[in-house]
Amino acid sequence: MESPSLSQDQPTPTPRRRRHLLRLAACLAVAAAGVASAFAQEKTPVATPAAGQVQSDPVKRGQYLAIAADCAACHTVPGSAKLFAGGYAIDSPMGKIYSSNITPSKQYGIGNYTEAEFARAVREGVNAHGTHLYPAMPYPSYAAMTDEDVAALYAYFMQGVQPVDEAAPETRLAFPFNVRASMAGWNLLFLHNQRFAPDASKSAEWNRGKYLVDTLAHCAECHTPRNAMMALEDGAASYSGSQLGSWHAPNITSDAVSGLGGWSDAELAAYLKTGHVAGKAQAAGPMAEAVTNSLQHLTDADVRAIVAYLRTIPAVRTPGQAAPSYAQGKAADTDADTIGLRPMQVNMADMKGEELYANACASCHQSTGEGTRDGFYPSLAHNTAVGGASVDNLVAAILFGVDREAGGKHVLMPGFGPGSEVQALSDAQVASLANYVLQQFGNAALSVTAAHVAELREGGPTPALAKLAGPAVGIAVVIVLALVVLLLARRKRRARH
Amino acid sequence: MANELSADVVVVGTGICGSFVAHELAQAGLSVLMLEAGPRRERAQLVENWRNMPPANKAASDYATLYPTVPWALHPQYMPENGYPQVDGPDAHAYRQGILRGVGGTTWHWAASSWRYLPSDIQLHATYGVGRDWAVTYDELEDYYYKAEVEMGVNGPNDTSLKYVAPRKQPFPMEPMPYGPADRRFTEVVATAGYANTPVPQARNSRPYDGRPQCCGNNNCMPICPIGAMYHGVYHTLKAEKLGARVIPNAVVYRIDTNAANEVTAVHYYDPDKVSHKVTAKTFVIAGNGIETPKLLLLAANDRNPNGIANSSDQVGRNMMDHPGILMSFQAAEPIWTGGGSVQMSSITNFRDGDFRREYAAIQIGMNNTAQNLKAGVKALQMGLVGKKLDEEIRRRAACGMDIYVNHDVLANPENRLRLSTTRKDGLGIPFPHITYDVGEYVRKSAVFSRQHLQKIAALFGATEIETTPYFNPNNHIMGGTIGGADPKNSVVDKWMRTHDHKNLFLATGGAMASAGTVNATLSMAALSLRAAAAIKQDMLHG
Repeated sequence: MESPSLSQDQPTPTPRRRRHLLRLAACLAVAAAGVASAFAQEKTPVATPAAGQVQSDPVKRGQYLAIAADCAACHTVPGSAKLFAGGYAIDSPMGKIYSSNITPSKQYGIGNYTEAEFARAVREGVNAHGTHLYPAMPYPSYAAMTDEDVAALYAYFMQGVQPVDEAAPETRLAFPFNVRASMAGWNLLFLHNQRFAPDASKSAEWNRGKYLVDTLAHCAECHTPRNAMMALEDGAASYSGSQLGSWHAPNITSDAVSGLGGWSDAELAAYLKTGHVAGKAQAAGPMAEAVTNSLQHLTDADVRAIVAYLRTIPAVRTPGQAAPSYAQGKAADTDADTIGLRPMQVNMADMKGEELYANACASCHQSTGEGTRDGFYPSLAHNTAVGGASVDNLVAAILFGVDREAGGKHVLMPGFGPGSEVQALSDAQVASLANYVLQQFGNAALSVTAAHVAELREGGPTPALAKLAGPAVGIAVVIVLALVVLLLARRKRRARH
Repeated sequence: MANELSADVVVVGTGICGSFVAHELAQAGLSVLMLEAGPRRERAQLVENWRNMPPANKAASDYATLYPTVPWALHPQYMPENGYPQVDGPDAHAYRQGILRGVGGTTWHWAASSWRYLPSDIQLHATYGVGRDWAVTYDELEDYYYKAEVEMGVNGPNDTSLKYVAPRKQPFPMEPMPYGPADRRFTEVVATAGYANTPVPQARNSRPYDGRPQCCGNNNCMPICPIGAMYHGVYHTLKAEKLGARVIPNAVVYRIDTNAANEVTAVHYYDPDKVSHKVTAKTFVIAGNGIETPKLLLLAANDRNPNGIANSSDQVGRNMMDHPGILMSFQAAEPIWTGGGSVQMSSITNFRDGDFRREYAAIQIGMNNTAQNLKAGVKALQMGLVGKKLDEEIRRRAACGMDIYVNHDVLANPENRLRLSTTRKDGLGIPFPHITYDVGEYVRKSAVFSRQHLQKIAALFGATEIETTPYFNPNNHIMGGTIGGADPKNSVVDKWMRTHDHKNLFLATGGAMASAGTVNATLSMAALSLRAAAAIKQDMLHG
């Protein structure tokens, strides 16, 4: 008989891929938050340049800036060697948005871009063809980028990146979201196209930190709540936390109870570098991705600068919160209450939260919930995800797991959601488990319903605007937007007169 | 007809072999239906069952009770004994195999040792003039070995100068896990007598791999890894399902239809209520591993195949092999602290190969790294101790207790047979498998030396309370019953696991292995199953 050839099925290591929720809401004409599972970059695809090189060489400086701005997270398909070739599919409630090829390929990338065209794309969300980008590209944050940094980024993308002559798939969204021109209206309303201006009354370190946090690392895109038009709520609410699909990006203001006020400088720096601070928090979901791809690669001076700035973000207290989320809960052992006392062969369906905890969680987090002494398996008591005002990060961690690489170490907690090969739990089981964990180790005032677990499993609450798809509603929205644009344009003209 | 189902490929059995085949074929875009005699199982349920098992069962290493058997798909239960499978012969005890029936198969509980066989194991007759040669050579198998290692996630030592390890073109997918204290100390102590104790390749994550976490040393591989760091066949069942394969649990295949060209046209299964269902397909794979596969082939004898399906050679159910073992336990003079890490991390491989194999069996010697606390506790209580003395004795035994095993290479012998029982039937009226087993002179001769090695090792540890099994025990490495070979007259499957008798019937099972070697057979079974999948793809997509 014929010999089957192995050539077509030569084994390749299964890529580790991560479900995660997109860091940025994919906004549109009417802007709707796109939140969905997608695959993140497995490893940062760009080696961190040495500090000396960053100073002297604009290409190396641009490379560092590209890491700080985390361009690769969206512009490279995870696991692909085609760095910055785009094609990364962002699943939004309106459809897939594909990131563009930003290699210097003349045909398919940005090889023909002038520096001015590049700058306009980065800071104003308009590409060289005059087409509006969807704000899945965080240009509202990048708008403040300095000319010098844009020039360095341009130098890096033109000279330091290999061209990939391959077209990224075209984004085709349903009406009305496919009307890209309507982004003009949104931009008029929400894009503050102003460069970063240092505050002379503050230290150079603080100014550097502000620039990193507000602009390059675009922290606000996740940590600042969005308004009904899915634009960031500037002002008092800045950095006070926001829903991010299935996850909750916490309050990172300086508030001692709801924010980072109770964290030491060293703890904040360690968190940015490793995503792990015992007794406080562990980065999961989109923040794990930010640590993995970007933050851990920042210089110590830049990390210090970020910390210095975070310290000064005006405090926002979550109404009703009395104690920091990491201060909640205590270790408690119920193992002796359950082990050996039940008949064998109790059905999974009949298991209560404490049994599910014992069978699915305790082998790592220990029956006491304290984790291991070396902190490798974190304590569930004194843990932001378990003691906070939102149950979402606890439930999302159970559903989707934790996946983070920092300092050459890969941390992985398997997900227990649908399709889990370790143990798939139903919505009711996840709710019952999460409720046990909250009662036992965390914020006992909270509870979770199976319906809420189901919602988070599907990517979290759908932003109101994303529900507006469909011809009738779509047309209405476009008309309203057109009126808004007209009104604003007139106002501007009047102002000019 | 309501009771009729159809697919491109039907796979009977959802253990590692069947699931590997189903996964490959589903990935290639074929429609795949998987029929599994036993029920589905869930990890948290198994952990819960184990937690609630009486200490006596735990101390007796009862890894079966937490996997309750079902009347329509019996598997062995020991406390109490259910007599499945039926065994007799001079070494009946050595074939009481601890198989599991159910979705995912027996690798729900195993030590995950994932060895490649040596080229000389595979060509035992060609090399040493004893036993039989496989239908494939090592070189033909190597790519499939590697693919199986990648799919399962195997960690192991890349030092090929170790005596004796199989050659490899690619490094292991993962670096070995660090030894616990007992494996470290055992290695040091036996080295003084010239024994090379080396890392066992394990299908266990030494780092996060394939979305599963790294091993954290629960030392609970048998009976159930509580965190999913160890490889189980069920992962590939689930992966196959995600790719569109359909799994029907509690479906006991009992009949196989063939046409005039002796191609298989359908299989029939009973559901638990003994309602019969017919399943048609273009290609059929039986993947019930070494006991259930020959049992089914014999059971399904039809008019054209009166001695059983695929049995024109009369080799179905013959040449039953395993690794007959001797187990020694003792109390070492110093604390050893077994239990750190996985249950099987290292073994002595000096005697895996050598010219002596012309005369007697090659062996593997190793230390079971299973924690001793359960045995220690039961023993200390039996001693009538109480209070502080009881605590001290439990602590001493937990620290100093050791279990050492020797596993032997057994030769293929057609008289070691599996037949259908004439006296016992399961809940559906299907006969038990009945196995007659004699380990043979080749093993007995070797075992004399094995016992000397064991005594020497015991002496190195200043051992007391030495107890050695006077009989051979089973190791659940079931081979030979559907033996592979080039000649249709004396073998059942060819080098692609295709039956000689039926061109669209493949057997994905360790039963094809024609020699036993000294090490766990699972990686070889998996690699051979990948060859079956490759041949089926060739038939169906390019044929």
